[in-house]
Amino acid sequence: MIEVNNLRKEYDGVVAVDGISFKVEKKEIFALLGPNGAGKTTTIKAILGLINYEGEIKINGMDARKSGKGIKKFIGYLPENVAFYDNLTALQILQFLAELKGVENADLMSLLKEVGLEKDANRKVGEFSKGMIQRLGFAQCLLGEPKLLILDEPTSGLDALGAYEIRKKIKELNEKGVTIFLSSHILSEVQELSDRVAIINRGKIVVLDSVEELSKKLDIQPKLRIEIQHPSSKILGLVKEIKSVKDVKLDGNVLEVTCPPSAKLAIINAVEQAGGKIIDFKTVEPTLEEIFVKVVKEDE
Amino acid sequence: MNEIIAVAKKEIMDNWRNKWIIATSAIFAILTLVISYFGSMRGVGWQDLEATIVGMINLVTLLIPIIGLMLGYASIVGEKERGSLELLLSYPVKREEILAGKFIGLSAVMALANFVGFGVAGIVIGINVKGVEWGDYFIFILASILLGMVFIAIAMLMSCAFSKRSTAMGGAIFAWFLFEMIWNMVVSGLLIAKYGFEKLMEENFVAPNWYYIASLINPIKAYSALVSLNITPVAEFIGEMPSFVNTPFNLAILLIWMVASLLLANYLFKNKDL
Repeated sequence: MIEVNNLRKEYDGVVAVDGISFKVEKKEIFALLGPNGAGKTTTIKAILGLINYEGEIKINGMDARKSGKGIKKFIGYLPENVAFYDNLTALQILQFLAELKGVENADLMSLLKEVGLEKDANRKVGEFSKGMIQRLGFAQCLLGEPKLLILDEPTSGLDALGAYEIRKKIKELNEKGVTIFLSSHILSEVQELSDRVAIINRGKIVVLDSVEELSKKLDIQPKLRIEIQHPSSKILGLVKEIKSVKDVKLDGNVLEVTCPPSAKLAIINAVEQAGGKIIDFKTVEPTLEEIFVKVVKEDE
Repeated sequence: MNEIIAVAKKEIMDNWRNKWIIATSAIFAILTLVISYFGSMRGVGWQDLEATIVGMINLVTLLIPIIGLMLGYASIVGEKERGSLELLLSYPVKREEILAGKFIGLSAVMALANFVGFGVAGIVIGINVKGVEWGDYFIFILASILLGMVFIAIAMLMSCAFSKRSTAMGGAIFAWFLFEMIWNMVVSGLLIAKYGFEKLMEENFVAPNWYYIASLINPIKAYSALVSLNITPVAEFIGEMPSFVNTPFNLAILLIWMVASLLLANYLFKNKDL
């Protein structure tokens, strides 16, 4: 769906994006992650033709530079800091944007209903809260049933319920075949939503894969969280002796062990052998946050 | 074309809702009525429209450029700063279409304010005065709209040339000073430097053609000359001018300013990163 080849962008001699290449496949959710100033927004702006750049970007096989207008008909975009016209109502704004996109007879009220703004359709956007603006931003990017959604921080400014609804909507759209390209600083959100993740740092893509594959490649082990009735130093000592165990911490009644899945049985045996009574037991998979921190630290 | 119309409609709607049109119309109507009623040297009372226009020209040449510059200076850079331009450009619309739509929309706002403001005042004057020359008044309104459009285009150029709203406003204020004051001072200064002040004061002194051309390249002067040449009592008052200073010449100057400003604005906008 999106093919970026050797994308490079400089601002006044400072390299923002340094020759990156990646592909976003049709119908996948692809996330771009990176610290502030890593080049995420510059990459999104280049894809949308909002900036001049070196390199090549193809969307649906078409050169983004040459056929920008044709391509944009099937793209929905939610900018990081979405802004509208304070004097116009939500409905007037959607009418204007629908006209720009050439969407005829769009059911704008249902679109507003989908994001919970149907009662505010005739209110001036200048009176809206940040969360309401974000919801309107999400509504506008669905105009004309786009095939590709580019979402820059899609849940920014939303409360927990609003963020949950938007995430749910993103999943539903993806299930219907919409390709999603998103950037978010909420790593749990990216982990929940995305099929593949690219981590960008200082203008370069450092890693690109699924969260599971990235954990394997980077050797980030899952954690065992074992709740024990009477924890003791003996338990800690025995578990530490197991070869494949990387790290052990005892926090109150909870023993947290970083280890490969194959070491589970040996750990349980060691706890019981030391006289510990297991109350609860669970495996915590590596989080994207751990991957992200490791990748960025190693790169720097 | 649909995209241009959509952007133009949005500009009109935005300026209607923020009361720009109403406020500007009211200013035009009140000033015209005040000048018509109190502006006569013969005493207080209604003057006919032609005499009112004579009194209005100086005021319009001050006011219309300010309104045009205020309408247009934030049209691009203001949206860029607020963040709405990024969203707009993610839609299937070309940058030149946005520029054209905004220019048409803002020009329509200017035209509406002129027609409503001067129109209401004209009707009031027409009720109180006999034998009104509506044709002259119509020419005056059209020329004023054209002057407004020139300054909207210049303001849009500022809006594309600068990356901050505040600097674009500074550019617009400088443009106003340039055309209202600095230009005339420079051209008159050149004339004095060439001929000396005493020669200029001689009764039979005729200014050279370059002086007229240099003066009239200023769109405000071209507007004044255009109105003066086409409105009967003013044309009688201003006397002889070189033969090339005619309606097409003044119209061409105004149109060249408008088109050149828009073309340059488009060039800058097309190469702008958001």
